[in-house]
Amino acid sequence: MDRGVRLMERIQARDTAAFEALYDDYHRLVFGIGLRMLGDAALAEDVTQGVFLKIWTSPGAFRGGSFAAWVSRVTRNRALDLLRSRAARPEAEIPADLPLDASLDDDVFARIDAERVRDALAALPPEQRSLIELGFFGGVTHQELAARTDTPLGTVKTRIRSGLRRLRDALGERVSR
Amino acid sequence: MNERADRESMLELVALYALGVLPDARADGAECAEQVRAFIASDAEARREYDDLRAAADAIALTAEEPVDSRRALRMRERLLARVRADAATPVTPFRARRPAVFPAVMWGSALVAAAAILFSVITVSQDVALRGQLAAAQRRASSLQTQLGQSERVGSQDRRMLTDLLSPEAKRYDVAQGTVVVHGDRVYLVLAKLAAPPRGHVYQAWTATKGSSAMAPSVTFAPNAEGVAIVALPVDAAKVGTVAVSVEPDGGSKAPTTTPTFVRPLS
Repeated sequence: MDRGVRLMERIQARDTAAFEALYDDYHRLVFGIGLRMLGDAALAEDVTQGVFLKIWTSPGAFRGGSFAAWVSRVTRNRALDLLRSRAARPEAEIPADLPLDASLDDDVFARIDAERVRDALAALPPEQRSLIELGFFGGVTHQELAARTDTPLGTVKTRIRSGLRRLRDALGERVSR
Repeated sequence: MNERADRESMLELVALYALGVLPDARADGAECAEQVRAFIASDAEARREYDDLRAAADAIALTAEEPVDSRRALRMRERLLARVRADAATPVTPFRARRPAVFPAVMWGSALVAAAAILFSVITVSQDVALRGQLAAAQRRASSLQTQLGQSERVGSQDRRMLTDLLSPEAKRYDVAQGTVVVHGDRVYLVLAKLAAPPRGHVYQAWTATKGSSAMAPSVTFAPNAEGVAIVALPVDAAKVGTVAVSVEPDGGSKAPTTTPTFVRPLS
């Protein structure tokens, strides 16, 4: 069980010391996602504040699994809300309801560090990497991706799928089924 | 388009869904997350593909982590923790947590701190029979406060029960250097004052031993407020507890005490 999960158990019991520890561990990730998506430090700060207050007031929303993955999705959704409030956008959905079974399972996810993911992303063909990063941090739909990059929709789909598969393989922590 | 092509097309949508770039639902019947969810639910291969690709997509978030400007980080932290500490006075968890080893109910709201002050005065005054008049006055103040608090929307039933327990004349009180261990019914509380702030990266942790045993079991972790006050409900059955102790431990708590206990108090 990763440290984030253990701290969340204590936060559910209103342990403020655990909350402080969780904040110290994860505020850089939350702020960083907000900054990448919104491009504005003040807005990223608002997102960070909102995410951690949500964690404190509704800790039951976390139902296990990798805390880092969960808090990243919560942050992306909150940043998406802000993006949408600034411009009318079709609502891309970040899946949060379907739990992962186990391929890069929770323990494995906990061992993946940012440097390794950066290396894996950098190794992707540029046309795949740019679509994946824009899709992940840009809060746009696949159709917007096609329009923004002047790429046929079918090509966008193929590149994203191929890129994610390569990324998965590069991270290399497949769990036998 | 043949069946295989249709299937490949759907698996491409699974990848888009895992990345979070599919719109949720579309009235015009265009590709959307709704249809992918139905596909995943009915197709084992699609489910596996989704699990794999979503984990890879989730990992991308880690690349965004970066240092935060120290002044901004400090400002965010202080603002957030001020809100959280204020809110901590109104716990939402049930009194009897399902996982007792991680049930701290540390409360430092002004109401409970005021109640604690009255409690301390009751304890102090009760040690001198010549001051029975003051004791009665203190109890009247406590009763009045309890009534006021009972009418407050911010004080939940758990707080009221705690106040009732702490102020009850039937409660058993066991003095320690930093305050009192209070037992009422099957509930045990630590009412501590003038606690030094624990060193950075450390917290206080309570320990309990069952009657007839010297083995200490880990209980909740907590930290005092700025005035050094902490009121902590221990998630134990008072009838089974023989000894209560507190020590300073690394943040996150320990499985066994790693420092000399702040106090060890037999409940007898």
